Amino acid sequence: MRLALEGSQALARAVALCRPQVVAAYPITPQTHIVENIAKLVADGRLDCDFVSVESEHSAASVALGAACAGSRAYTASSSQGILLMSEVLYDIAGLRVPMVMTCANRAVSAPLSIWNDHQDAMALRDSGWIQLYCADNQEAIDTTIQAFRLAESLELPVMVCVDGFALTHTLEGLELPSQEAVDAFLPPYRFSRALDSTQPLSIGTLVSPDHFTEARASHHHALLQGLSQIVALDAAWQQITGRACGGLVEVRGEPEAKIGILTLGSVLGTLEDAMETYAEVPRARLIKLRAFRPFPAEALRQACAGLDTLIVFERAFSPGGGGIVATEVKAALYGQAMPRVVSFAAGLGGRDIPLDAYPRLIEAAAEDGGDFRFFDLKPDQLPEGGF
Amino acid sequence: MTKLTRGAIALPGTSLANRTGSWRVMRPLHQHRAAPCHTACPAGEDAQDWIARFDVGDWQGAWQALVSANPLPAISGRVCPHPCESACNRGRYDQPIAIHSLERYLGDMALQQGWDYPVAPLDAALPAVAVVGAGPAGLSAAYHLRRQGFKVSLIEALPQAGGTLRSALPYYRLPTEVLEGEIAHLLALGLDWRPHTRLGRDVSLEELEQDFAAVFLGPGNQKGRRWDVSFAVPDTLRVGLELLHEWMRMGTVATPRSVAIVGGGNTAVDLGRILKRLGAAEVHLITHERIPGPGVADFDAMPAAEREVRQAIEEGVVVHEHRSVRRLLLKGNKVIGVEMVHAKKLVGADGRPRLTTFEGTESVLHVEEVIPAIGQQVDAEGFEPLLQGRPFIPVDAYSGAVPGSAKLFAGGDARGDHGTVSAAVGDGRRAALAIARRLRGQGELNPETRATIGFEQLNLNYYEHQPRQEAAVLPPAERVCHQEVESGLAPAQAALEARRCLSCGNCLACDNCWTLCPDSSVLKTRERASDGSHYVFDYDYCKGCGLCAQECPTGYIVMQPEY
Amino acid sequence: MSAEHTISLADLRAKQPRFQGLTAGHRACLGCGQALAARLVTEAAGPDVAVANATGCLEVFTTPYPESSWRLPWLHSVFGNAGAVAAGMEAAYKKQGKSTKVIAMAGDGGTFDIGFQALSGMLERGHNVLYVCYDNEAYMNTGVQRSGSTPHAATTTTSPAGAARMGKRHMKKDIVTIIAAHRIPYAATASVAYVSDLRRKVRHALEVDGPSFLHIHAPCPLGWGHEGAATIEVARLAVQTGLFPLIELERGELTAVMPIRQPRPVRDYLALQNRFRHLFSQDPRAQVELEHLQALADHNIEVYGLLGENADAQDSEGADTVQRGGVRWA
Repeated sequence: MRLALEGSQALARAVALCRPQVVAAYPITPQTHIVENIAKLVADGRLDCDFVSVESEHSAASVALGAACAGSRAYTASSSQGILLMSEVLYDIAGLRVPMVMTCANRAVSAPLSIWNDHQDAMALRDSGWIQLYCADNQEAIDTTIQAFRLAESLELPVMVCVDGFALTHTLEGLELPSQEAVDAFLPPYRFSRALDSTQPLSIGTLVSPDHFTEARASHHHALLQGLSQIVALDAAWQQITGRACGGLVEVRGEPEAKIGILTLGSVLGTLEDAMETYAEVPRARLIKLRAFRPFPAEALRQACAGLDTLIVFERAFSPGGGGIVATEVKAALYGQAMPRVVSFAAGLGGRDIPLDAYPRLIEAAAEDGGDFRFFDLKPDQLPEGGF
Repeated sequence: MTKLTRGAIALPGTSLANRTGSWRVMRPLHQHRAAPCHTACPAGEDAQDWIARFDVGDWQGAWQALVSANPLPAISGRVCPHPCESACNRGRYDQPIAIHSLERYLGDMALQQGWDYPVAPLDAALPAVAVVGAGPAGLSAAYHLRRQGFKVSLIEALPQAGGTLRSALPYYRLPTEVLEGEIAHLLALGLDWRPHTRLGRDVSLEELEQDFAAVFLGPGNQKGRRWDVSFAVPDTLRVGLELLHEWMRMGTVATPRSVAIVGGGNTAVDLGRILKRLGAAEVHLITHERIPGPGVADFDAMPAAEREVRQAIEEGVVVHEHRSVRRLLLKGNKVIGVEMVHAKKLVGADGRPRLTTFEGTESVLHVEEVIPAIGQQVDAEGFEPLLQGRPFIPVDAYSGAVPGSAKLFAGGDARGDHGTVSAAVGDGRRAALAIARRLRGQGELNPETRATIGFEQLNLNYYEHQPRQEAAVLPPAERVCHQEVESGLAPAQAALEARRCLSCGNCLACDNCWTLCPDSSVLKTRERASDGSHYVFDYDYCKGCGLCAQECPTGYIVMQPEY
Repeated sequence: MSAEHTISLADLRAKQPRFQGLTAGHRACLGCGQALAARLVTEAAGPDVAVANATGCLEVFTTPYPESSWRLPWLHSVFGNAGAVAAGMEAAYKKQGKSTKVIAMAGDGGTFDIGFQALSGMLERGHNVLYVCYDNEAYMNTGVQRSGSTPHAATTTTSPAGAARMGKRHMKKDIVTIIAAHRIPYAATASVAYVSDLRRKVRHALEVDGPSFLHIHAPCPLGWGHEGAATIEVARLAVQTGLFPLIELERGELTAVMPIRQPRPVRDYLALQNRFRHLFSQDPRAQVELEHLQALADHNIEVYGLLGENADAQDSEGADTVQRGGVRWA
């Protein structure tokens, strides 16, 4: 069914289609519209779910954890500071191998305070052991969210669906919402193999000594790596039902044979695609959409980058004092084969607009000699006087 | 090697694989220690034990436990001065358990229900034993021998059994029906009962020694001790014990208007109460000692039972404590008064108490008669040589064995060192045990070494103050010769009283150890606990913290080093 | 050596005549008040219960992988979220139509301090959860650091007594009043020294519909500096001095107290514990602090009306009375 929906509204409807029994959330811009819409669906009797409006993100994650362990499908959503406040519990959820889905409405992290979009929040949780899937548009956000529940439950791992704050969450567009029957056919009822049941008691959350800690971490790592094929398989399965896929792990768009490539995550992909149409005089680039950041799809990435002379990594986060986060990982993945020249850009930080003309400027800048890591669209005249 | 589970989950109760008992340096143990009432009982009763059975409604079991030591509970429950109650730890908490009331209750219940004494069948392989004297010592000895399967001939000079119980205990303290009932019950155990058989007249000690494998002598004090004084006494002087015997036989005696009885024992007190009942206007009791009670040293206390003294005073008997008689005031052969002087037993240089009188404290009591009741002695007819010139038979203090004799034992009044019914019962019991051991070739009976649990070893937090249940006592004005002064406890009272027992040194089955063990290392069981408690320690897990021992109300758990 | 050994101890353990939610083999210290309290709570609560446990001694000593002492479904997440995890569990069971009761368990650190917000949120939202705080008055798991629950003047590793200080400068947080101010159906304090009272409160807390809170005073022999065997004695004195009043509050209103029959001087309680040893020195400030603690106890007695007029079977001296055969009043 095609509807004109705000991204957040669509996400709420997608979550509802997955029939979560417990949703826990604490408001933070730009996640608010998602949970407001879920709350309204519950209030209207359209979703049979306990919507627990908690007193902090820490508790939101905790309530979701408790519910998931007690045998209910659980969901939460947050952004930015909220994600960081949750981080202790998010590590715990992953380490306990508890399935659940959360939406990260991506936003910059303070300070300085910014309520606008970048990916610093999700990137900060890179090592938490959650699966991270990035959505290029709101249709992907809907489809990925539904896939995420099945992915989480089949692997017993939590999945974070990253959706750009405002750029996606607050944008109204025409979207395909799958039918309840289609979702029910795709997503079987939640069953957690280690659910807390008083007739078969288990202890979850034990103290693990050095004797077993490495093994616990290693098995967690391998479970994530096994998720690579499952991500692809579920995307394909979803395509069978709806005719739509989200690009598996890594999707190549634009000009597949081009020698210059741009790798990016999230909604900026659409901007670049449109820009290539607008600036037809500029050579077309190979657009590489990194959908799965965790687990990291090194092999799929190597294939997508094959034959490139230059690879621009265009990401909305960075590691201060280090450089591009994704870029570093991409370089590591490509190491040992015919390496393109990799140019890393941090772009769109704290909601700075990435307009259509970013494309020709990016291609031009990449050709220049300016170091491995650069800030795109940096305004030098606005930097502090007398040094940093 | 332990495999990792997904998310490192653990299965329920798997910590049982971890035997924390290896941490332990101190080990809790159940250790039964005698309650003070047990240690204090001359008859050897373990009141704590039988009260525990009473408390759970096992009255017959309680009675059986009681009569495993003392076959005369209905009697001793009435007449014993109950040193058990003086020793009772509860006395330091609020008031002692009314052990005598419970004992009497069970004794009466047994008579009413006709419960049989638990005795072994006669064992033909065992030799016969003679018991001389059917007073409390002899009855006890006969019973305890019979209990173990021995054939016993019980030889008594008088037509009826009972000894002092029959000759000197007035009805108002011990009704004849009770005496008859308990004795008849005992004699029905299949004893060879030989009344009218006086030692030295109808049978000689030598004959008995020839015919029996062992002989127990339990003669009573049937003779009043002579008043050996330096001052003049009238030739009409009547002696306390004989006067008491006369009243017991005849039901009446000549009663003066005013009288001073000299002595602090039960005979003096009973005689005073009888003369009061018979109409004497003034009855005085002159004693070296003090009225017994808390804080009164044993050597300084009247030998009479505290309860009896108290009741005598209620009835109008005037007790002159710490007084000695200096002389009688005579008008010709007639007593017109007695001169008293303050006197006290003081510990001398040799460590023994000696009576000291205090010059300048003399006073005169105007009375028509003075009756000495200063003690009794055995009638040694038929065994004079055993006395070796003393007024008592020297015996082994514990077993009652007569030194130098392979067959002779003695107990009760004949020993001269104690004079209560319970002590006599205890003598009879220990002698019977000693005889049995000797005849079975098991050697001599050794004194029981018994650790007694003190008040400080109890945890009093777990008890609640409860008033002692007192039996109804006739108002003094209504007391007559042939009506019991004190009645028994009502059933509800008895149950409440039994519940008051602190269960010193023995398991109360209160669940404290089971409930308070932080390590779930005390397990509750009736089947497995072989030591009479209801719990076992699971040493696989017990860390030895000692909480159970500390919080055991009764001091039944002790901590011992592991190494 | 005959009938005695016909039943194995393992069988005997399996057949104990009361529910054992927490079994042996755990690694608590000797005489641990918290281990005892947790055992008593789970016994009273019965088998249809699931536990959310905050980080702390209880969590650590009961579940060293691959072992668990729990015989109930049990979940430990992090230090500060027991209230929230329990809320999530409760929400899930409610949605599933299950009767399973959820009990959150945390120490004083996880309750008074780091988990306070999650607890408050859980209470405010009305989850049908019993939250049990085992109060041993400091961060024991990490080595006896001061918490919001540490009593005034107690020495801990982060509030040490020294030439310039007499132990903790601040007061013990009045948590039960704060909790009761949420106007939840039931909040109460209890002590491991009063087992029947504790069990009754657990049962009552589980019977009420909505959140309930039970604050259990549980001595820590290691942190308080007393023998393991003295745990009950110390806990009892805390009650009998008035320093730890046993009270019940329903919808924020005080509805019951355990009367103190004969208040004991606080010295009797303090003298048993090394954490107060500095108060028995010649330092004149020690005398002031002793008086201060006595005043705090007197204040409790006055505020809660703890002084019993008559001896009562359920007062501070009657409530732990035992009887032959284990018959207790609850």
